[in-house]
Amino acid sequence: MIEFQHVFKSYGRGVNALTDVNFRVAAGEFLFVSGPSGAGKSTLLKLIGGLDTPSRGVVQVNGQDVGKLPPRARPYLRRAIGVILQDAHLLNDRSAFENVLLPLIVTGHSPAQATSRARAAIDKVGLSGKESLRPEALSGGDQQRLAIARAIVNRPAILIADEPTANLDHDSAVRIVEVFRDFNRVGVTTLIATHDQALIAAYANRVLHVDAGQVTERKP
Amino acid sequence: MSLSLQPHRYALGVTLRRLALQPFSSLANVMVIALALAIPLLVASTLLSLQPVARQLSTDPELTVFTKVGSTTDVARNMAQRIERDYKSEVLRVRVITREEALAALKRNPSYADVLAVLPGNPLPDAIIVTLRGADLARRSPELADTWRKWDGVDMVQLDSAWVQRMEALLRFGNTALGLLAAVVAVSVLAAVFNTVRMQALSQRDEITAARLVGATESFVRRPFLYLGAFTCAIAAGVAIAASALAMGPLNGALADLAKSYGVEFFIQLPPPLWLLGFVLVVTLLGAFSARWSVTRTTRF
Repeated sequence: MIEFQHVFKSYGRGVNALTDVNFRVAAGEFLFVSGPSGAGKSTLLKLIGGLDTPSRGVVQVNGQDVGKLPPRARPYLRRAIGVILQDAHLLNDRSAFENVLLPLIVTGHSPAQATSRARAAIDKVGLSGKESLRPEALSGGDQQRLAIARAIVNRPAILIADEPTANLDHDSAVRIVEVFRDFNRVGVTTLIATHDQALIAAYANRVLHVDAGQVTERKP
Repeated sequence: MSLSLQPHRYALGVTLRRLALQPFSSLANVMVIALALAIPLLVASTLLSLQPVARQLSTDPELTVFTKVGSTTDVARNMAQRIERDYKSEVLRVRVITREEALAALKRNPSYADVLAVLPGNPLPDAIIVTLRGADLARRSPELADTWRKWDGVDMVQLDSAWVQRMEALLRFGNTALGLLAAVVAVSVLAAVFNTVRMQALSQRDEITAARLVGATESFVRRPFLYLGAFTCAIAAGVAIAASALAMGPLNGALADLAKSYGVEFFIQLPPPLWLLGFVLVVTLLGAFSARWSVTRTTRF
């Protein structure tokens, strides 16, 4: 499902975000990406999400070589991947419901189908009753739930989240990870970047540890 | 609604929401563009209104050669034959109007009847009206007039259609000036729309990023901005037409007195509806083009 082969990523001169990264993730896996801030976790997730391309090496996602995809084809790869970034990029001038509707409009669903799928996604993440609220009126935890609802509404095969629990207390963080677990149970391959060791200890089956651009496997 | 129209419906909604969110800024943009468009539109209206007037007048230069009073009509006929023979390539038509014909024509005009009645005889000379043809007539006409003026039996040579040529030249100048003015206004409209869209794109950074995150194509991201540029320009073109129509009232009022003093009836009117539709379409396309250029440059993040 996801495969990195000798992947290097550098920005400008001499700033190596990733150095010779190799790993594979099978369909349906649930894993954490850990490591200190600035270690390269976000870069790793961006490469998987098709938001960036490797400087060298091969990144295969869903059987497609991300580095060789023409820019026009990348949006179509992204539709198969739910992405939740550290900054959720929620639209504060729209309701929670309209935020979840956006991916469905992008993929050209009919209004009736889009409405029904958006309601189902909101329901799945536990935001029922808050559809009409603007994101800024939601708590930090609910904002993350909203970002998850937006990421999963197009039923992606892969879900990646960059520090989704960074600004949450432990209980809220646990509830958010439970939401991810629910999606993983129905077959969605899930990668979560975090440096919350308690969460890793409680939930991880597998951990990719990133440090100074190098990726190693760690026991949970 | 057809599925293929869904993204357009969304883009339209986003565009209208963005326009409505900043009503004063949107209105100011429309007014600036409309005023810039109204100037060439008024000039074009004036030139288009002048064209039928100019078309009614003969633009072929004519030279009238008057023979000396007292000379016989044969002198005029010989002179006409000489002109036809020697200046074949430059002459389209030669016509002799005898002094008798000229007097009879004058008598038909009641304004001159009283004056002519008291004259002892026919004071008019024979005249040869020469219609010229060929290139560079503006330079050639005075040269021919000078040559023929020196001939025996010629009293005077008059260049009749010089003012028509001047008017034609003025219209040509007007059309060239309009072209340049239109180009300047087009650049101004491009700049205004470019800047408006740039500001909008920068303020919508989050929305663009969110759309890209969920798999939006660049066309999807750019479409609302294209609509914004096209809408702004289409509305501005409509306002420019309305403003020009309003300006015609006082302009025509002032022009009527001037036209009367020249003995003609002339007023400015807006170009025909199809011309105006073309104007709106061109301006709308210009807005969409500028918006596309701006959003492509501004959203490279």
